Parts: sequence; structure tokens; C-alpha cells
Amino acid sequence: MGILTPLYLAGLAALSLPLVLHLIRRTPRGRQMFSSLMFLSPSPPRLTRRSRLDHLLLLTLRLTALALLAFAFARPFLREAAVLPLAELPGRRVAILLDTSASMRREGLWEQAAAKIEETLADLGPADDVSLITFDDRRRTVIDFSDDGESRAGKADLVRGQLRELKPSWRATRLGEALAAVAAELDTQADVRQSSAEPQLIVVSDFARGCQTEALQAFRWPERVPAVLHALASRAASNAGVRLLVDLEAPTAEPRVRVTNAADSAAEQFFVHWRRSERQNEDSAAPAIYVPAGQSRVVRLPRPETAAAADRIALRGDDADFDNTFYVVPPRPRELTVAWLGGNEAVTAESPRYFFELAVADDTQRKINLRQAKTAADLRLNGAEAPAIVMVESALDQPLADALKVYAEAGGMVVPLATDELAASVAHLLDDVQAGEPTVAAQDGKRSYQMLSDIDFAHPLFAALANPRYSDFTKIHFWRYQPLRPKPGASTRVLAGFDNGDAAILERLIGRGRLVAFTSGWQPDESQLALSSKFVPLIQSLLDLAAGGEDQSPALTVGEPLSLPRASRKNAVVEKPDGSRVSIPADAITFADTDMPGIYRLYLDGEERSFAVNLAAAESDTAPLELDTLEQLGVRMFSPLTRAQRAEQARQQRDTELESRQHLWRWLIVAAIGLLILETCLAGRPA
Amino acid sequence: MSGSHRSPYHGFSVEFSEYRQYSDGDDLRYLDWRLLARSDRYYIKRFEDETNLRCHLLVDLSRSMSFGTTGYSKADYAKTAAATLAYFLSVQRDAVGLTTFDDKIVEHLPARYRPGHIHRVMLALERSPDGSATDLAPPLEQIAKTASKRGLVVLLSDLLAPVDALETQLGYLRSRGHEVVVMRVLDPAEVEFRYDQPAQFHDLESGRELYVDPQAARAEYLRRFAEHAEAIVRACHRLGIDQFPLTTDRPLELALFDFLHARLRRGRQTLRRRRAATRAKGGG
Repeated sequence: MGILTPLYLAGLAALSLPLVLHLIRRTPRGRQMFSSLMFLSPSPPRLTRRSRLDHLLLLTLRLTALALLAFAFARPFLREAAVLPLAELPGRRVAILLDTSASMRREGLWEQAAAKIEETLADLGPADDVSLITFDDRRRTVIDFSDDGESRAGKADLVRGQLRELKPSWRATRLGEALAAVAAELDTQADVRQSSAEPQLIVVSDFARGCQTEALQAFRWPERVPAVLHALASRAASNAGVRLLVDLEAPTAEPRVRVTNAADSAAEQFFVHWRRSERQNEDSAAPAIYVPAGQSRVVRLPRPETAAAADRIALRGDDADFDNTFYVVPPRPRELTVAWLGGNEAVTAESPRYFFELAVADDTQRKINLRQAKTAADLRLNGAEAPAIVMVESALDQPLADALKVYAEAGGMVVPLATDELAASVAHLLDDVQAGEPTVAAQDGKRSYQMLSDIDFAHPLFAALANPRYSDFTKIHFWRYQPLRPKPGASTRVLAGFDNGDAAILERLIGRGRLVAFTSGWQPDESQLALSSKFVPLIQSLLDLAAGGEDQSPALTVGEPLSLPRASRKNAVVEKPDGSRVSIPADAITFADTDMPGIYRLYLDGEERSFAVNLAAAESDTAPLELDTLEQLGVRMFSPLTRAQRAEQARQQRDTELESRQHLWRWLIVAAIGLLILETCLAGRPA
Repeated sequence: MSGSHRSPYHGFSVEFSEYRQYSDGDDLRYLDWRLLARSDRYYIKRFEDETNLRCHLLVDLSRSMSFGTTGYSKADYAKTAAATLAYFLSVQRDAVGLTTFDDKIVEHLPARYRPGHIHRVMLALERSPDGSATDLAPPLEQIAKTASKRGLVVLLSDLLAPVDALETQLGYLRSRGHEVVVMRVLDPAEVEFRYDQPAQFHDLESGRELYVDPQAARAEYLRRFAEHAEAIVRACHRLGIDQFPLTTDRPLELALFDFLHARLRRGRQTLRRRRAATRAKGGG
């Protein structure tokens, strides 16, 4: 005999009510008005023994009816066993979702995670199945659920063994995607396998704010998959991250870094400095940066002369150091050979070369070797010493022009400058340009100068000046130029023209190289170009164009694949920051094994290129996420139950089922009603 | 003013009262010339004065008077009796006054005989406010203050109050020379206490409640009631007050007949006593 709702047995206390009513002295029902009580004295009421005997029967009936009612509400039922053995508990399918993102590298988190998983494993019953899934920015099933019929014994030890080999990665956290995918999988597997085992998702994570839960917004959480969230708390009281900001408009400007402090951080003072290696001593002279918790600050961090080879920015001042280093590929000075054909030996203030040398003199990124040549042999157009660019200041004869064409087709760049023989030289090189007489602008019309117009700012030569703040060329006057115009339908393009329609700068792509011709000189006796602020960027762009524009090394986050150049990928090898080398298959177009932050070196065609891989910025946002947020996103939260609690729950469920089958309470109610009818008849009978 | 009632004063009437020896200053009109002629003695012949009655009806309207088991209350009975008396008296041209009271005076009409006065008396009786306890002192004081001439005071009450206080108050009235008649109105249930079911008895005046089993309490009640009634009778006797018990189950006309009969008999006795006294005086 069991009772489903024993609390209702408290209703038995109501039995005392009729008892009390029967025991207390009956006050007379009648009330008699009387003129005066001055002659009356109180007389005690008398009870006859006979009436008491009558009431005993009624009392018994009433007590029994009340007791039956109380028992009916307590929902009694008949059962065989009072306790449910733990072994008979229905099986569960427990999916353990373990966060292995970079933020789990903080002090103490991994040990806590292992302890939590051990707790879960210890609570598994023989009928329970378990799987272990790790997630960061991708999901990996370490141990899957057993198929039906497969032994589940030893599954926990298997998980323990795998867990010992796991360690946190450097990747970002995509909690939302992992939760949605695993929950959906648990839900569909229950359908597919027709399993009665109840699914359960146990998430072990630090639930940092940067864990990207957006994927849950579009996900409808399955009703029957409860999630138990074990949030781990790090012992590190503060955390800040550092990132280098890349100015797209001015890539060569003074570097700036952003220091981000986590919302729950206890520290506010940080130090940021350039470093060359892990072992380098800390720069004690680094200025302090104050960043309140939950905010970020951008500061300038000029690269000191002594740290030209520094490849990382280090931050100190916080407790968690997994995100304290930002890797930057140090700029590698490139050597560029410029061959200067013709011109005067003596460089004077009136010669174009004088201004060219000035324009390239202070370039830290590039080292320019200027080579004066008089003949084609001096140019050394083939071989390892081939110049990247040939500036032509003299008249060209046909053989030289042909040699330059071949050179251009192989990828070289030929820049004919404005000379009196320019038209003839260009005519040897290009066949779709027609030339006029050399013109002095002053003689043409009333105005004594020409200005640039129709500038093609989309072209790399002018792209740096495309911003409206810099795109005003009207202050640059041209007094003298060589009139050249492309013929209709020509492949030669005008990059910039003059007011009267003549070309100022012409370009023609020849094979893999190109020809860029200036019809006016930049020296002061022909124009104001060399003295204007536009000249240096223009020359730098010209050199970039000649060098192939490969100065920018890509910046990647961990896990992001590197697109490989289309050049030959034979014998391509990547050296990872830990020194290991990975060969790249010839047909690969990306390198995806960027699984740790640091400087990677790509050896391709005998050439070495470096690229930096850094942590995802969101990983630095380590303030704990409020778990209510997940509940608002639809995650069905569930407080974990031990096996004993589950057994108790299952027993209650079984009792409810038994009771609802037996319905003993109905008979008790019927009996109570019968007794009450009998009582009414007896009480109504005249004494 | 002449009336049908004898007066304690001497005056003009056909009823001879006494002889008195002449003294200087007496009115010669009353000299008994025949006696002077016969015996040569100067005697003054005196006659009884006849006067109108000034009657004050005091009606108790306290809450205990609202008790009744006969279909009407004691107050109804008392008011009807007072109205009847007032009517009789006004018919024989006597002045009637009315005072109704509980623990204070409710209505007070001075004794008058004038047209419409009887109507006002009736109206005052008709209004029966819900009174509270019985207190005889204020109405009796009022009567003493306003009635300078002696007259008849008829008190209609159940007299359910301590006897000592009653005696004091009635004695005060009596000492002012008024003739006082007490008509004690009682319900038969009060007299006989015929209850058989135990009940919570509710005092109408004080609101007090008492659980009483009549079977147990009846004997004690009757004994104490009788003691109280006897004490009232004794007190009235001491004060020379006529006391008539009226039970409400007795028809009013019979009760009034008894009352008038007793009054008449008493009047004759008084007359007889007085004449006897005169004769004894005269004979001596």
C-alpha cells in the first residue's frame, strides 16, 4: 500500500473537529427574552446520558467519513515494491560537450572541466550511454554513442582516457553552433534509433562573453533535450587582450594597438611593448595604459629603431597570459634595382633623376639600387641582376626598344620620361600612339600652363591619392609636354590627361610587364609635379607597381586558411611557430593548418614568406556570460540530478501511473458519501 | 371651581362637615342662627368643599414593559389603562396630566382640563419610544415640581426595581400631600414563570444574558418574586398608597372595575371614618 500525496493525510487532523464538537458543552439553541433577570440565578445545563449514547454512533460515522475523505485525497494505491533499484533506472544518452577554445587555457579551467566530467561519468548507470564532443570554432566527436546492442561497459574509462589526451586549442569559441548542432543531433538520434533512453546534454565551458551564441537565435531548441550547463570560473582575476590595428588607408603609418580589458577584470593598468622573441626581457620603459574594465583603448605604439625585427606585441599587467601576445610579421626591407638609361652623368637640380632620388631616399621599407646605364648591355635586362624598372631618359633606337619590349614581356617595367625624343622612342615601343610637335603650353591659347584632368584613380598608380582630401591636382601646372595621343581603339590607356585632351601619363600592358610613359617632366622647368606633395606617393606607387605589390603579408586568425599564391606550389613547405614543418600538396590552394598563434614561414619556390596567425579577438572577452542569456535564446536549462534523485523521481512517476490505473480514491469517496447519507438519516431521525 | 370630588378643604357644598365655635372675624354668613336662637351659642356651620380632581398618570415605558406573552406587551396594557382612566376623568371634567418615562422623562403633559387636552394625552400615549431601564426618580421629581396643588398620582409600572429605592421615591411624592395609586402591571409569565425548555434568558433592560434551566430555577424565581411583591405591598401600606396588581391576561375593563370598586369602597370607608371621628368629637 502506498500513498501518492501523503501531505493530504494532514486532513486527518480534521477528525478532531467532530470530536471537539461532541465534547464541548452544547450551548442551548433557544434564546428567551425576559423582562428582568433580577429574580433569576444561573443554572448549569444538564446533559442527558441518553443523548450522548445516540451521538456516539453519529460521531463514529462522521469520523469514518472524514477519514475516508482524507485517505481519498491522499490517493492511495497498491504496489509491490516501495523502492526502485538504481539498476532499474531508464537509460540516458549523455552527450558531454567540452569547450576546448583558447579561453579555456586560463589558469585552473582545464582541471575544473576534467573534474566536472569526472563527476558526470561517476554518476552514469549501466544503462546510460555517453559521448564526448569537443568544440571551439569547429566541433569534433571524440567518442560517439554506442550502437544498439554494443557494449556500453567501459565507456566511461574510454572517455577518461581520451580526456587525458585532450588539451585546449587556440581557436575561437562558437558555442551557439556547437549547442545547436549537438542538441539537434541528440533529438534526431532519439527518433532514428527509436530509443527510450532520455537524451541529456552536458556542457562544460567557461561561457565567456566572446563565445558567439548568435547561431542559437535561429534555432528551435528541441523540447526533450535538457541541457545541464557547468560554468567554470577561472582563478585569474583579470584579463586583457592586445591587437594591432591596420590602417588600410595608410599601411605604412605609425602602428596603433587596441588594448581591450574584460568586463570582469580587476586590473586597469597594462603595459604594451614590442618584442622579438619569448625570451626577450620585458621592456620596463613601456608606458602604462589605463583601461577600465569592459572598455578598450587605442594607443600609438611606434616601433623603436632597436625593435625593427620585433615580430610580436606583448601585453603585461593581467593574470591570464594566453592572449597577451599579438604576432606581427616584421617588415622586410626589399631591394629594388632601378636602371636609369640616358640622362646626364652629373645630377643637377634640374634633372628628373635628382627628384627621383630624393623621393626614394628615406624609404625604410625599400632599398633602391639606382644603376646608371648608357647602353643596352649596361642595363643587364636578363638574369638575377635584372632591374625591376627601367627609366628611359634618352632616345631609343629600334634594337634597344625591342630589348626593352622583351624585358617588359617577362614582367619588367619600362618608364619613358619626357624628352624631346620621347615621341620617337615611344613610336619604337608602341604602335598605337600618334605624336604631335613638342608643344609649349604657353604658346597654346591664352593660358600659359596645362593642368591634369581625367585622372584614373582606380589605377594603382593613383589609388593612394584617390581620397578626396588628396585628389586635388589643380595646383600642379605643366608648362611643357610632348603631345601624345592613343589612336582610336588602341590598347594604350591614358592614366591622366591634360586639359586639351593630350595624354599626360600613358600605360600599356606588355606581356607580364608594362610601360608607363610621362609626357611631361616633373622637374621645375617643365612642371610643378616634383615640388608638389603628390610626387612622393606617385613615385612610391610606381615602385610598388614595379615590385608587384606583394609587400603586405596576410594577417590571419587561428584556424583561418591561408590562400596560397597561384605560382608553382611544388615543394612548398610551411614552418609552424613550434618549428614543425608541413609539406603542402601540389594541388592545394590553401594552407589550413593554422592551429596556433605565431609567425608561420612559407617556403615556396625557394622564396620565404612569413605570415602571422593570431588569436580571435573575441577570445579575449573572458567575462562570464550570464546563463540567462542562453535561456532567453531558447536553451532548455536543467539542474543536474544525481542517480538517487533520478531514482526517486522515477519511483514517483511509477507510483503516479499505478495510482491512476487503480483509482482507489473513487471507492473511498463513494464510501464516504454512503456514510454521510447514513449519518444524515440517523441524525434526522427523531430521538 | 366646583367638581364632583370631595375636598379636604371646607367650602360651599350641600355636604355638612362640622360645627366650629365662632371667633372674631369669622364670616357671619356661616353663623348657625337657629342654634344661636335655641342655645344662645355662637357656632359657625362648616360644609365640605367640593373640588375637581387633578390626576397625574405616570406610565412606565422602560424596556421591561415591552415584555409580553399574551400577544401584547405590558406597556400596551398600561397605556390602554392610562388612556381609559384619562378619558373617564376628562368626561367628568377632571384635569388629567400624563408623564411617560423610562430612565428619564419621555413625555410630560401638565394636568389640565381644556378642549383638546385629552387628544394630546392620547397622542402622547400612542408614541411609544423604545426605552431602557426603569428609574422613577426623574418623573416623580418632575411631578413634585410642577404639581403645586395636591392631586391624585397614578403610577402604572411593573415595579421591577429594588424596593428600597421605590419606597424612597414614592414616599417623597406622598409627603407632598398627593394621593398615590400604584397599578402594578405584570405579565402572567412573570407571575407564574411557566417555561420548561432551558434557554439563554435575555434581560430586556440591561441586555444581560443568563443561561437558565426553568425546571431548576422556577421555585427559586417564584419565591424571590413573591418576596419582592410582598415587600412592595408592605412599603405601599406604610406610605398609605393603594396598590393594585394588574396582570395582562385579565381583561382591562374587569381590572378597571376592580380598581374603581376598590376606590369607591375606600372612599366610603374614609367618609365613614371621618364622620365617626366628627361624631366622636361632637359627642365629646
